[in-house]
Amino acid sequence: MSGNPGKDASPVAQVPEEMGILGKVLTMSYPLGRSTVRSSSARTPIHNPLLCTGSGECGKVCPTNAIQVEGSGAGAHFELDYGKCIFCRRCVDVCPSGALTATTDFELSTLSRKDLVVAHVSGRPVAARDPELAKSVKLKVHHLFAGSLAIREIDAGSCGGCELEVGALTWPEYDLERLGIHFVASPRHADALLVTGGVTVNMRLALEKTYRATAGPKFVIAVGACGISGGPFRGSPEVGGGVDSTLPVEVYIPGCPPRPEALLYGLWMALGKVEQRLWNGELPPVAKRSD
Amino acid sequence: MSEVSPPRIVARRGGDPPLARSKPLVTQDVEALWDPCERLWQIAIAPSRWRLTSQSCQTLDGLRLGSLWGEDTGRSMLRVHAVWLPSGPGSGLHLVTELPTDSPRLSTLLPDVPAALYFEREISEMFGIEFVSSPDPRPLLLHMSHDFPPLRKRTAPSRPSGERKTYEFPPVEGEGVYEVPVGPVHAGIIEPGHFRFQVVGEEILSLEVRLGYTHKGTEKLFEGRTPVSSVPLAESVSGDTPIAGAFAYSTAVESALDLQVDAATQAARGLLLEIERVAFLLGDIAGIALDVGYAAGAARANALRQIAYDALEAATGARTGRGVLTIGGLLRPLDRALGPILTPRMGTIGKGTTSLLEHLLTQPSVFDRIHGTGTVPLNVARALQLVGPVARASGLDRDVRSDMPYGPYVGRVVHVPHEQSADVEARLRVKAAEVIEGCRLVLEFLADGATEAPAAPPLVSGGLDERHGLGLVESPRGEYLTWVSIAPDGRLARVHVREPSFLNWPAIEYAVKGNIVPDFPLCNKSLNLSYSGFDR
Repeated sequence: MSGNPGKDASPVAQVPEEMGILGKVLTMSYPLGRSTVRSSSARTPIHNPLLCTGSGECGKVCPTNAIQVEGSGAGAHFELDYGKCIFCRRCVDVCPSGALTATTDFELSTLSRKDLVVAHVSGRPVAARDPELAKSVKLKVHHLFAGSLAIREIDAGSCGGCELEVGALTWPEYDLERLGIHFVASPRHADALLVTGGVTVNMRLALEKTYRATAGPKFVIAVGACGISGGPFRGSPEVGGGVDSTLPVEVYIPGCPPRPEALLYGLWMALGKVEQRLWNGELPPVAKRSD
Repeated sequence: MSEVSPPRIVARRGGDPPLARSKPLVTQDVEALWDPCERLWQIAIAPSRWRLTSQSCQTLDGLRLGSLWGEDTGRSMLRVHAVWLPSGPGSGLHLVTELPTDSPRLSTLLPDVPAALYFEREISEMFGIEFVSSPDPRPLLLHMSHDFPPLRKRTAPSRPSGERKTYEFPPVEGEGVYEVPVGPVHAGIIEPGHFRFQVVGEEILSLEVRLGYTHKGTEKLFEGRTPVSSVPLAESVSGDTPIAGAFAYSTAVESALDLQVDAATQAARGLLLEIERVAFLLGDIAGIALDVGYAAGAARANALRQIAYDALEAATGARTGRGVLTIGGLLRPLDRALGPILTPRMGTIGKGTTSLLEHLLTQPSVFDRIHGTGTVPLNVARALQLVGPVARASGLDRDVRSDMPYGPYVGRVVHVPHEQSADVEARLRVKAAEVIEGCRLVLEFLADGATEAPAAPPLVSGGLDERHGLGLVESPRGEYLTWVSIAPDGRLARVHVREPSFLNWPAIEYAVKGNIVPDFPLCNKSLNLSYSGFDR
């Protein structure tokens, strides 16, 4: 999970001259093994309610209104929505008390929209986790597609950033197919629709038609700040507020765009291979996972 | 052609331009003023002279249409702007005309200026301006009808109704002619758009592209915001080239507010832009290999591409380089110890790309598919005013970095490759050469102290007069233009973003002519046009 500061151990530093099977394996072991994200790539804001002074500076600079602070002082109500966050670190830069820090955590995918929202009042979480919901999603999705998953990707009005990272899953570094997950060309062949973009007025009909053209059992994965909430385009009359205003969504993968490892985690979690880590916006304090 | 002869353009100084680009231009009866914020000659003309003046710009050697956009001044007056840019080193023109908000009309620039087509269709639907005797008044980006033209200024924003506008594709008739409709949802992991092919047997007679599916009202969203808070929006115009988008936007705001950017910051921006170019163009090479069915070549290119994105992440903390550029410089400095990370990576990519290109060109199954496929002849490229690697593969030697050097490229030698054969092979060669040149420039910027750049000071704006500025950046796809107008309260009054794909999209309709349908994905990938950049 954590980075390896100082040492450049990235496997991509050198690509051997030989092509194909003569060359070195470039594919990472994640999500089966550990990922190596540099510590300098810490972009996920984590809120420590014990340090928060309720200054509200973070909310003022947030370009997508992902942070809401009401009241002031130690009793302030703080809310951070990872579904709206574009991980730009502006809030961390201005936080006067050090309550907001950036971490390299990218395992932020959830099975419910409300788990993407962290809410603190007077230094305490507002709600407790609800394991029942996760169990029900598990029953529906996990054992149906556990061995293999065919995905149709749909851009419902993204900027192209999510397509870049979703496409990267097929590069040698990430090689999605080793996990039994592959992208298919037609909704007829798909188990899941992976949807990016906040659903523009001009794409809504095509999205609905594609969903109807997909045979059941099927489920929908909303990817990126736009796919979850409309992201930077939230508020435009031409863009809806995310995929779940049009289709039922089972899996949310936040990011702007989510890095390929975050997408791998979200898909792996959807298949029931790993546990959801983010509950009510809270990550476990120590990143520890049984591999 | 009109019987009245177009105004002759003669030289006269009208300001204080930099000596290197003093190419003063003035018509006999309109005065041109040098605008240091835009580095262009400003000419205000009457609507009645719009067409004639544009015709003379089109016929004038060395000028090409850069962009055409509308503006609602909010004072019962609409403006139409046209920027004519030099097609080689030199300076350009900015024409402005004013129209009343009630039933505004302007004569069309078609057919004399073919590149004006998409621009006029967009201005027409966004501002309600009628282009008199336009051969194609169909909507462009808006699929639904709106209560009023969306970029007009009223207290509440214009909303789309549920009513779909009619849109007709020109019919093609004849024995054995059939249509293949494709999209908006495509088979690959790409953006949405609709293609209507008219085909005889296997051969494509014609193609019409219909876009607008990812239209997000981005230009409207800028309005009323502060320049600093809108940087993420500028990054998201075309999300696969966020650095170019933020760079062009920042440059426009900086020139409007007369902000100076120090040399180290310029070098840092240049470094980031060149890594983005390297990573992006390797993706095009991978796409070409993949679309001829050569997965091993694609894997190789994508392995190199991963190195480039890894380098970008090492430099900025974000794989795609978002959240780093801002008005006045960088949001946060680059990692000081970047040298030992970048140097081996750029070396590997440079060597790897050279050997990959040689490998691809010597595989008969690859060469056969790309040689002579998807040709965009020089005369078409020139008429459509194409930009970027696509234009350079058709023999047009144009690149903002060398023609109108900005920021990090002032006084810098950039080796701009170009080819003559105008096919997929030529585009592959140009893109590979640009990757190699990009690697060289990254290391040059590194040596010029890119990592010394400090974080930008906070921007205090407002209390000024009305300002406007232009940003021109050579993005991986070509010339990226952003124009901003800032109100006296320091907020954005109008932002126009012309991503290079807006000029280059028509090229695909020519590239596929006479090719077979299965070669369409190959032609498409070799042009690699942005849907979101076009639709915004």
